[in-house]
Amino acid sequence: MTNMNEVASQPGFGTSPHASGVDLGQVPAKMTVRDVNFHYGDFHAIKNIAMDVPEKKVTAIIGPSGCGKSTLLRIFNRIYAIYPNLRASGEIILDGENILDPKYSLNRLRSKVGMVFQKPVPFPMTIFENVAYGIRHHEKLSRSEMESRVEQALRGAALWDEVKDKLKQSALGLSGGQQQRLCIARGIALKPEVLLLDEPTSALDPIATSRIEQLVEELKKDFTIVIVTHNMQQAARCSDMTAFMYMGELIEFDRTEKIFTKPDKKQTEDYITGRFG
Amino acid sequence: MSASLYTTRRIKNIVAMAFSILATAVGLLFLAWILWETLSQGIAGLKPQLFTKITAYREEGGLANAMVGSLILNVLGILIATPIGVAAGTWLAEYSLRSRLGPTIRFLNDILLSAPSIVLGLFVYTVIVLPSKWLTNGDVTFSGIAGGIALALIALPVIVRTTDEMLRLVPGTLREAALSLGVPQWKLTMQILIRAARSGIVTGVLLALARISGETAPLLFTAFGNNFMTFNPIDKMPSLPQVIYEYTKDPSPDINTLAWAGAFVLTMFVLALSLIARFVFSRSKVSHD
Repeated sequence: MTNMNEVASQPGFGTSPHASGVDLGQVPAKMTVRDVNFHYGDFHAIKNIAMDVPEKKVTAIIGPSGCGKSTLLRIFNRIYAIYPNLRASGEIILDGENILDPKYSLNRLRSKVGMVFQKPVPFPMTIFENVAYGIRHHEKLSRSEMESRVEQALRGAALWDEVKDKLKQSALGLSGGQQQRLCIARGIALKPEVLLLDEPTSALDPIATSRIEQLVEELKKDFTIVIVTHNMQQAARCSDMTAFMYMGELIEFDRTEKIFTKPDKKQTEDYITGRFG
Repeated sequence: MSASLYTTRRIKNIVAMAFSILATAVGLLFLAWILWETLSQGIAGLKPQLFTKITAYREEGGLANAMVGSLILNVLGILIATPIGVAAGTWLAEYSLRSRLGPTIRFLNDILLSAPSIVLGLFVYTVIVLPSKWLTNGDVTFSGIAGGIALALIALPVIVRTTDEMLRLVPGTLREAALSLGVPQWKLTMQILIRAARSGIVTGVLLALARISGETAPLLFTAFGNNFMTFNPIDKMPSLPQVIYEYTKDPSPDINTLAWAGAFVLTMFVLALSLIARFVFSRSKVSHD
């Protein structure tokens, strides 16, 4: 265990919880989160979050159950908006525009920010159609263009070799791990810029989990990835930056290596060493 | 101490099991009894002419016109009720989230579900049969269409309810997954949710069909009945339950036997529909977990 005082006294480690000052190693921010608050009815679930999500890096959000990590992720593509009585305020700047501005089209936002959920949710249609479905909504492609686009997405999700001979079969017949990779293929098929992963492996076995983690490593070459996970080893293994949240607040946001070896905050250290949560 | 606790539990278990088995046995007993009674009483009437001859020939006839009439009335009822019912159920499940109207409509639908069918028959008599009589100077009074509408009013709440419930069983994550691709709500509903809930919705329609195919009361003032074969929906139209109703009141034992035979055919039809509904539901019920 690192001595907290020693670390805090070193220059360059004076990270504020509102982490605009974090050293991203010269990586530009893809998404800039400023003063974001979120309410479920009267419940103040997310409190004054500020963070810079670096481009083409993996940013992990960790924290105990109910800390608001999934809620924060669900603000990034405004998927929360489908339920009544939920409100987000503040600014999330993506490519110079505030996506929380009601004028920012959901259609456009969701083609730029893809999402993969905790449980694999294939649509009740063929494997091919699952991937083609979203593309068809946003782009008009010829048959051959669509076929190559679907293949490209399935290759990108490391699923092509397993399904290339059964593209016409129902996606519901795939295993859980394959279904989750199909959902990733469906997401990246739209060529988004940001990919949100909400505990993508928590319903999967260890082998399927490790394949998804390898995939995340590959995907960050092309996409900015934000992953919510309750599995700290996973965050340590596959992320570049880690945000620790507790009770709706961003406690600490820094390079993953630093969060897991010499965090600035006592709460962070307690959590990653398993003293609570 | 704990031994006596286990004994008490074991006794409670035996008593509870005995009650459940008894209750199941009573239910099955009556089902078997009904099937046996309709078969044994109607077997003398189960002859080819039952399906080929019409009721106009009385004892020498059959129930062909009533069966055809029932088929037309049921199809009319389902054709009217299904689009409205599926659309209303979809609205309730997918669009009434932010509206206070949703729970109110669900409640009203439940009232319609338990409305006495004779009242629905009288309602259709008042709003369809009487006006059509005035408008056509008495040429059109009772009709297959009026009967079909009365049956549709019975099928409608069943279809609304099952559509609503089946759609609400579709996990929210499926909605989120589709919406997160930027797909609009209507596409999500029409192309994904209805598809995911399809087997449940079809089951609801089949159960509604089974329900209306046994209805007599709403047809008495609407389709009325007819001793001849008719395919004309604005004509008076016979139906199996209505003929059974008339034939059981008849003094002739041969006519009574025909009523029993009709009852057996009707029971088998409803049983077959229920089995098909179960089959449809179990076969294509996909796991969303």
